[in-house]
Amino acid sequence: MLQLVYSPRWFYGKDIVIDIVSIVVLLCVAWFSLKYYRINKRNKNYLLLCFGFGLMALGFLFKIITNFTIYYYVLETRHLGFITLTYSVLRASNILFFVGFLMYRILMLIGLYILYSIYIKQSRISVAIMVYLITVLTYFSRNAYYVFHITSLMLLCAITWQYYVNFTKTRNLATKTLLFSFTIITLSQLLFVFVGLSQTLYVVAELIQLLGYLGLFLTLMRTLKDGKKKRKE
Amino acid sequence: MGRRRERSDIILDILSVIQSKGGKIKPTHLMYKANLSHNQMRAYLSELIQKGLVETLQEENHEYITITQPGLKFLMQMRQMKEFEKTFGL
Repeated sequence: MLQLVYSPRWFYGKDIVIDIVSIVVLLCVAWFSLKYYRINKRNKNYLLLCFGFGLMALGFLFKIITNFTIYYYVLETRHLGFITLTYSVLRASNILFFVGFLMYRILMLIGLYILYSIYIKQSRISVAIMVYLITVLTYFSRNAYYVFHITSLMLLCAITWQYYVNFTKTRNLATKTLLFSFTIITLSQLLFVFVGLSQTLYVVAELIQLLGYLGLFLTLMRTLKDGKKKRKE
Repeated sequence: MGRRRERSDIILDILSVIQSKGGKIKPTHLMYKANLSHNQMRAYLSELIQKGLVETLQEENHEYITITQPGLKFLMQMRQMKEFEKTFGL
């Protein structure tokens, strides 16, 4: 049996709350990005940002699905001498668990790759190859969870570096908060690489990830507030 | 040399200039303050009027351009959009 659950029993359900918070934050950023794309359709980066964060949100949704199990009844027949017994048995299916994890990893990596491609322009062929490689990598990394986290870590490092470059250009509070948020999310991925060693590490990584997404939400709020403030000037 | 203004930057400048003048400005003043040619200004104004973001007003034989409530709301959204663009490096 594969071990894909690294959460301690007492933390079951609490990680779902963290994932829901992450989904809400990611959807908020995706929604504002789509809203601004409608105002300025010439800048396709808004649409890419919307897709990137949207796919990550969808990924987290699939991660939540992994917590549910399908129960179903099957009829079994047994012969005991002259007697034939037919009875129903309750069985559990892990299909949601495996499909959920696979989709979570694929969508998360494609989402991060789209964010990366906003800053480092990619040709259509590169995008198609990367999506193929991500799908293959995810499928064959079922037995090695850390491959997914290392790949996410690398993409997050590249994105965070771009946010650092952006911060050095603008030097304002919103870009600084964004930089910190992504640094924290990157740090959480680093911890996720080692969750196989200790269940406590999983809890710490989840909590750090929560901090990162809350930081992203603060960034969004600060950005909207700064936009409003300039109106009064 | 500064970068060429995008369409969205020009619209933002036009609406900002009108708002900074108390929501009402003469076309010639708008042209100079928003750094536009006469033809450019007329083209943008006709689009903004069509969208209901600004209106023309005749007062004491003078033409004025006024910003509407939807125009003010749109201006705020544009400013938020620009901040968003700056923050995420878009």
